[in-house]
Amino acid sequence: MLKRYTYSILALVCLLLTGCDRIAEDERLIYDPIVLEDNQNDIPEEGKPEQTKRVVLLEDFTGQRCVNCPKATDIIEQLQEVCGDAFVAVGIHGGPTAFAGNANVVGLKTDIGDEYYTHWNLEYQPVGLVNRHAPINYTEWIEAVKEELVKPATLRLKGTAVLEDNTITINIDAQGTNGTVDGKLQVWLLEDGIKALQLMPDNKPADQAYIHNHVLRTAVNGTWGEDFSIKEGETERRTMALDIEPKWNREQLSIVAFVYNDQGVQQAAKTKVEIIE
Amino acid sequence: MVACLCVLGTKAWERKGVTFSGSIQSDMLVPRHDNGTGAEKTGSFLTNTYADLLLQSQYINAGARLEFLAYPLPGFENDFKGWGVPHFWMKGNIGKAELTVGTFYEQFGSGFILRTYEERALGIDNALLGGRVVVKPIKGVTLKALSGVQRRYWEWNEALISGADAEIGLDEFFPVLRKNGTGITLGGSWVNKYEKSDEKIYLSPTYRLRLPKFVNAWDVRASFSRGPWNVMGEYAQKSDDPSFANGHIYRKGSAAMLSGSYSGKGLSVLLQAKRSENMSFKSTSVETKSIGISSAINHLPAFTQDQTYALAAFYPYATQLAEGEWAYQAEVGYNFKRKTLLGGRYGMNVKANLSYVRAIDRQFYDGDNLVQKTNGYTSKFFKWGDDTYYRSFDISLSRKLSKAFKLNLMYVNQRCNQSVVKGHGGIVHTNIFIADGKYQFSPKVTLRGELQYLRIKEDQGDWAYGLLELSLVPHWMITVSDMWNCGETNLHYYQGLVTYNVAQHRIQAGYGRTRAGLNCSGGVCRMVPAHTGWTLSYNYNF
Repeated sequence: MLKRYTYSILALVCLLLTGCDRIAEDERLIYDPIVLEDNQNDIPEEGKPEQTKRVVLLEDFTGQRCVNCPKATDIIEQLQEVCGDAFVAVGIHGGPTAFAGNANVVGLKTDIGDEYYTHWNLEYQPVGLVNRHAPINYTEWIEAVKEELVKPATLRLKGTAVLEDNTITINIDAQGTNGTVDGKLQVWLLEDGIKALQLMPDNKPADQAYIHNHVLRTAVNGTWGEDFSIKEGETERRTMALDIEPKWNREQLSIVAFVYNDQGVQQAAKTKVEIIE
Repeated sequence: MVACLCVLGTKAWERKGVTFSGSIQSDMLVPRHDNGTGAEKTGSFLTNTYADLLLQSQYINAGARLEFLAYPLPGFENDFKGWGVPHFWMKGNIGKAELTVGTFYEQFGSGFILRTYEERALGIDNALLGGRVVVKPIKGVTLKALSGVQRRYWEWNEALISGADAEIGLDEFFPVLRKNGTGITLGGSWVNKYEKSDEKIYLSPTYRLRLPKFVNAWDVRASFSRGPWNVMGEYAQKSDDPSFANGHIYRKGSAAMLSGSYSGKGLSVLLQAKRSENMSFKSTSVETKSIGISSAINHLPAFTQDQTYALAAFYPYATQLAEGEWAYQAEVGYNFKRKTLLGGRYGMNVKANLSYVRAIDRQFYDGDNLVQKTNGYTSKFFKWGDDTYYRSFDISLSRKLSKAFKLNLMYVNQRCNQSVVKGHGGIVHTNIFIADGKYQFSPKVTLRGELQYLRIKEDQGDWAYGLLELSLVPHWMITVSDMWNCGETNLHYYQGLVTYNVAQHRIQAGYGRTRAGLNCSGGVCRMVPAHTGWTLSYNYNF
């Protein structure tokens, strides 16, 4: 009798757990768009400065020998299209799949890219840091960007960059908008439109003329930036200069500035380098 | 000290009718920076240390394992780091049933839908934590049921894995089969993954996926044996399981295998074929955690030779679970008898293996419709895809040339698609020549030597390898080896090891360089970075 009960219970458990969960084709997708908070026109609380929207920074650790990295780039392009200037992506060529180049092939790997890759203890590519939180797979970037976009901004950040002769003069203007922010200000130089080799996914042949955008070229103010602190209502300007290298295309340069601390990136801004002939 | 305590403890327990046994395994490395190989000094002292304890009595067995991996050896995934007692279990025998509570390993059939196991060299331990019942109600019938959560390094994945398996040996029911020496075994399994995940996977900034809470997999198998013949077939299927591995498609996975073997006097033949597609089955839908070798619920064996010689193992193959593959393997072995023309005075053994792994046909939807994209692809069952993933042919000849000298010669030819196996590197072709000789000077003194040469046009070019191993029975073994890249870098990867065995203890100390490369076992691989330094290994069984 006991045996019979045992077998019956086992069979019942099996049946209960075999829940069929096939999702019909027309139910596979859930409409869940990114909504950009436009709080620029909100009336600020009394005594508080005008609020600003949060700009989200994505550090994309990529490599020319990384076959899935073009898939990550697709995600970035989609986010750029939807989010506009509320989203800033930086392609950091470092780690095992980055390519340093040789006499025949252009390489985009940088020592600073390797340093960041090692610092964040990354173990595969593509992988990204959204507002300097834990590294995540590129398929999770959209969700992470959505979550960051709705967080309130604590400061306003704006940059200008002017290239005259071979020197870029950069001004970063900040205004505290919500509490005090202590951290680091980091400024990077990026280049768009670089035509160079890229391995492609799904066993497709390598693309010799792949266009690499938002490629990190160098850090303007050191690998980890400079100390920065701002109180609500205060404004501050930081000025710095950078000599450009001949291999960089001066028409395609831009500056990314961001303030970060242990809680992640607090605010970011991107500006194109203006050329004065 | 620990060993002495274990011995004293064992004796005390034995007096109470309880057997106490266990083992300690500790591999240590003092890494050094090496400008030549680019090896980094990743710490001052690294170790992977395991201590297993087992208590056995008439009705109840219990065990636990301490793992100290806080400063792990190079090449393991970040989350591998940690320490604790991740294994603890108790097993009771009640009549014809056996009940396990705690952590356990299990495999249904060939492992197509469930295989939890430990492979320390790769850092794999995907044990289940929960309960398992194994019942043998009558002779020839084994029933299993289990449920639990799966280990992922130092945490337990949220998905609940449940399953059942039944296996029947028909020869126990039909005496005529037994009388004819015929064995027929039928089996069937089912596995269910239940996961209520918070993971949001977006196909675009506007649409995200509705992920299934349940994923089911089933498997049927049959084996027939008679005399030297054995035939085995198995088929498994898995329900829609959109994941990072399969590109988030809603498509069934499947695996089919047919294997036949003959093992007669002096001759052995093995023929195998397998087709699999979309069979990556993981116990977490968190994408960042599902990447890598952790959290696998199932395992598909690679139909390729697991090479043991150093240069032959340079370009291994890893089973393509998500992409799928057609895999074939044929192996023939023959023992030439002693005192025959080819066998000579002491006989000779010849073995040949041919492996071929090919992509399956997959026709992907190429439009912009997101829903259509989630269907993935269409595939004709018997049609091949364009790419050859791996091809290998090897032949080995083993012969005793004199009473004291034994020689093993081997030739390996490989074509490996590195872009498939490790993501980049293109196709490489190798020709590998190996000679392995062993000379016994006296019953206590044996010298073994290996010479290997790898000829390759791609990657880093040719490699040569030499090894000498002196065994002084019963305690000592001294090994020196050098792996030389004579094709491009001119680097030497030298190594010296001294091994001492006494009673149940084994201690090995050495110094050397290890090259960066893939370390594989059973079709699963991990990338090991170059490292240099002093090594010490200690093993103890009590």
